[in-house]
Amino acid sequence: MARTVSKTEIYVGCTILIVLLVISGGILLKQSQYNPSIFKPTTFQPESPAPTSPRASSPPDLIQYAPKSLTALTPPETFGVENLSDKINGKAELYLSAGFVRLVSQRFAIEDEPTAWMEAFIYDMGSTRGSYAVYSLQKRSEATELDTGDFAYRTENALYFVHGSYYVEIVASIAQERMVELILSFGDNFIRKTTAGSEAINEFILFPTKHLNKKSISLLPSDAFGFQQFDSIFTAQYEVGDTELTAFLSQRKSPAEAVRLVESYTSFLREFGGTELKSTLNIPGAKLVEIMDTFELIFSRGSVLAGVHGAENRKAAEALALMLNHSLAEKGQ
Amino acid sequence: MNQRAQQHTTNRRDFLLRLLKGGIFIGAACSLSYWLYDAAGPGVVREVKDLVTLPDFSLPSLKGKMSIVTGGDRTEAIRRALDTMGGIETFIKKGDRVLLKVNAAFATPPILSATTNPQLVAEVAHLCYKAGASSVVVTDNPINDPASCFALTGIEEAATSAGAKVLVPKESFFQPTTVSAGVLIQNWPILWEPFQKINKVIGMAPVKDHHRSGASMIMKNWYGLLGGRRNIFHQDINTIITELAMMVKPTLVILDGTTAMMTNGPTGGSLSDLKQTNTMIVSTDQVAADAFGATLLGKTVADLLYIPRAESAGLGTADYEALSPVRVNVS
Repeated sequence: MARTVSKTEIYVGCTILIVLLVISGGILLKQSQYNPSIFKPTTFQPESPAPTSPRASSPPDLIQYAPKSLTALTPPETFGVENLSDKINGKAELYLSAGFVRLVSQRFAIEDEPTAWMEAFIYDMGSTRGSYAVYSLQKRSEATELDTGDFAYRTENALYFVHGSYYVEIVASIAQERMVELILSFGDNFIRKTTAGSEAINEFILFPTKHLNKKSISLLPSDAFGFQQFDSIFTAQYEVGDTELTAFLSQRKSPAEAVRLVESYTSFLREFGGTELKSTLNIPGAKLVEIMDTFELIFSRGSVLAGVHGAENRKAAEALALMLNHSLAEKGQ
Repeated sequence: MNQRAQQHTTNRRDFLLRLLKGGIFIGAACSLSYWLYDAAGPGVVREVKDLVTLPDFSLPSLKGKMSIVTGGDRTEAIRRALDTMGGIETFIKKGDRVLLKVNAAFATPPILSATTNPQLVAEVAHLCYKAGASSVVVTDNPINDPASCFALTGIEEAATSAGAKVLVPKESFFQPTTVSAGVLIQNWPILWEPFQKINKVIGMAPVKDHHRSGASMIMKNWYGLLGGRRNIFHQDINTIITELAMMVKPTLVILDGTTAMMTNGPTGGSLSDLKQTNTMIVSTDQVAADAFGATLLGKTVADLLYIPRAESAGLGTADYEALSPVRVNVS
């Protein structure tokens, strides 16, 4: 039998509930007005010393890699995920999407020529794939390939290379042969003194070699071709006669994932106005989509997702797709 | 049944007792919350400042002026560009207090063209004084090590040699602003102090590729006026650039396309990222200046989403030809 509830009890109970509702409303209102420029630990510290890193309280002094004629112009600075953009602004996104861990940078000048200076940027990308991704996506076309590290090239005033999980840029303030020699020496010293476990990137050998521009292989760490689900996509340029083509492939976790990505990328292209065409290719499950006067060919073989991107010529795209499929079969995929 | 009901009936004394206990419990919880409450938050010093709004520095009578000069000598190109618009005196009058908003975002040497060219800064400051300006201030907020940025870019030396004052940002220079038609710049700190007593603003930027926005030119250069954790805006780069153009209405803009950074922007690093495009653009329409600058990078207005957005917002025209720009070749 329920007991009798007095009116006073009801009033008190309602009052408490109303108070709780008001408090909840206040919290929600305050939260909706959250202003990250105010509610944060102070980041604007123009006169503060070097920023701190999550991984190291005192950054390594890069002077240990500098040839004798160089003197430190500034102390080493370290940047982590949270403040990389303070150093390289809008380019930070590229590094962050590739697994960036830490950047150490420092400037050096030639002792008897202080206006001639260089800055070394040592990016720890966490893996060789990460370092190769940022290396390949920024590679200068007019450059001299070098044997330094795993991958390397130099330009008139700079050296760029991959050493295991490290991506290194050394940029000079002047284009002078003496400075370039010092830069190269700095790079050699870094490689000699730095242990960096290099992991093999197996995808390189999966591309067919005929008509391949070997220097063109790039690794897109995320959002390849504007599609969010496409991560870790390798691309390579092919020149067949006058036609330039882009092949791509990506090692997925399982054949089922590769098949699923073929379907979802095809749907994505259709959503953005693409028309699916009937593929006559002898590749099971291959999809062909015409979009904005270009052709996309997508297929999977085992756990490898592969295809041809943005081809202007359908026949050439199909021929390259067949070559790619054949190459994958040859390599046991 | 009646007996059980009677057992469960609360009398006045019990009720008051329960009410007292409940009150003590609520009071204790509130006291504990009050005692634990940290008004400042974790490591936060919340300083409430009044909202500020940048004045409109544009000159209505000179709306839609544009000059495009072809030539590799910056000094000559800027002089000729201004001459075609009636000379610097058209914009800068005796006693004016001028602010030059440069791009000093990176501590990189001038040859990398990642920042405003120091020669150009010196020449413009010199011309302003020649026109009768009473003061010329040069500023930007590079965030990381501003002193090195101004020194290594050569901007500090160039500006001071021309008699201009370089204002390196300090925390006290910032005040919050809100762009009324915007969604991102709401109660956000901007570099405010250098604008005090200023009545003319000239935006000066190089033409650069930009990893996130496609290009960094005049409108993107206002990004250097933002304080706080501005990197979060990179997630919506086209909107923030449009709002920056809403926020700043300059007297004049100078887009330096003498050397354009074609790839790997905004930092660049290699001379191979650069191309001699030998063009100086001066305009009172920042949207038109950027629209023309896009062509130097081999891009179209459609490639740079913030340009049509700025045009739609009534900030200028992307159809720069509609302004009948004066074209001069000094090469």
